Amino acid sequence: MAIFNAKDRTIECKVVYYGPGRGGKTTNLEYIFKAFHKQTDSEMLSINTMGDRTLFFDFLPMGLGKIRGCDVRVQLYTVPGQSRYRSTRKMVLKGVDGVVFVADSLEVRRKANFRSLKDLAENLKEEGKSIFNIPLVMQYNKRDLEAQGIPLLPLETLEKDLNSKLKVPYHLASAIKGEGVGGTLKEALLLTLRHLQKELHWTK
Amino acid sequence: MPEKELIRRLLKEADLYRNQGLLSDSKAKYMEILSVIRKSKTLSSHTQLIDGVKSKIRAVNRSLNELKDSTERPELSEDLQDLIKRLFTFSQTKEAAAIEGAVALAKFGQYEQALKEFHKLLEQGVLPVVTAKNMIKCYTALKAPKAAVAQFAKWKTRDFFSMEDLRYIRAFLKTSLEKEGFKTEIPEVGAEPSLPSKAKKKKEEVFLEISAISIHLQGGPLAGQTMDFDVHFQSANTVSVLLPAGQKNVADSLVPGTRLADIQCYSPITVFRSTGTISGAAQIKQGPRRGDYTLDITIDAD
Repeated sequence: MAIFNAKDRTIECKVVYYGPGRGGKTTNLEYIFKAFHKQTDSEMLSINTMGDRTLFFDFLPMGLGKIRGCDVRVQLYTVPGQSRYRSTRKMVLKGVDGVVFVADSLEVRRKANFRSLKDLAENLKEEGKSIFNIPLVMQYNKRDLEAQGIPLLPLETLEKDLNSKLKVPYHLASAIKGEGVGGTLKEALLLTLRHLQKELHWTK
Repeated sequence: MPEKELIRRLLKEADLYRNQGLLSDSKAKYMEILSVIRKSKTLSSHTQLIDGVKSKIRAVNRSLNELKDSTERPELSEDLQDLIKRLFTFSQTKEAAAIEGAVALAKFGQYEQALKEFHKLLEQGVLPVVTAKNMIKCYTALKAPKAAVAQFAKWKTRDFFSMEDLRYIRAFLKTSLEKEGFKTEIPEVGAEPSLPSKAKKKKEEVFLEISAISIHLQGGPLAGQTMDFDVHFQSANTVSVLLPAGQKNVADSLVPGTRLADIQCYSPITVFRSTGTISGAAQIKQGPRRGDYTLDITIDAD
């Protein structure tokens, strides 16, 4: 849950990168850390396990500067994608204000995307939130692999599978190349701050 | 597509999945390649190619096994543990925040440090029943049933808990150990209180976050009165509230086992009516809230 300090005019919110394991959530944060270094005020924290899999979460705090007279800070998190870490994902989702769902465009990951989105919806529900109301942006990652002849899910299939009911903004991306990463983040922040403005009226 | 071309394409896919850590997908693709080779009239006798693919499958299997064996949560540095406590504590009150911090450590597999924190909290008299239950969860996660029972035996000799609390904690300990398949004898306290059924427990796990409750008392000396409480801590469908030391008459009428037929629950997204039971009650013996009362209220999950 965002913290708004009316006296100091500061607001701190939380955006979580969710999605199937090995889909590129950590790669997104790594790119953000490199590309937006001026806005990040500490090292990115990653707690990984064998094979560089996220074990607990990645954490990257950012300062967005003054927006309408308010000092806006955002905490970016990733969750471990592997199915066995459900309780960790639930923990990381506590107090979430906005979500980026990083879907894997690989054809072989179609079911994994489904399962992860369902898991997100369930975990949000347990947090007292609805996937239909939370600020959410879809990112269809690994689009660069098409050039290598690797079978990818067409955009239409991804949209039909994951976004036909949600109808949230989507971005095509190649997190490893940094393509679409900034756009995804900006849109997620915009939606999140707009949503928080309605709830907290922090720009008044 | 010519067979050689097909195999080249499948190998490229399988290798890429392996590099990306998608081990099961990679293995499935290598198996597909083997199947194509075996069915081929021209390639089925190509032992070098078959051995090469088999060796890749063995390597993927090794990685999969290593991954399966790496389920243990590593002990993190003190700095990381402090960060976890800071990042996953949301309550405004000191006591609830301290419990949340320790619970966060446990959720991230830092059971030993969580136990140390819970010990400290118990010594300070912070939400003793909730703290004790969390300690039991840590011991069972550490697969240390004997330590859990020894801890319970210690609690029996101290004045942290009322007899009712001890009975409730014993039942919780018994259920927790049985669930994990441990058959350890637990010192008796008295008659067994009934614990929620498994089906009910499942529902508790998805209980809404409750920030405040109003209780309308329908019996006893305070019948007809409505009391409002802020929730200081919540574990599934059990909420803990604090009662100032001056309200002894209220504490006396809300003893464990008391049924509450009318509870108004306020969650961030909705307000709903429910029923429940006082599942724990204790007077805080130490710390800044010394003298105050803590009540655990288990809200009916249906």
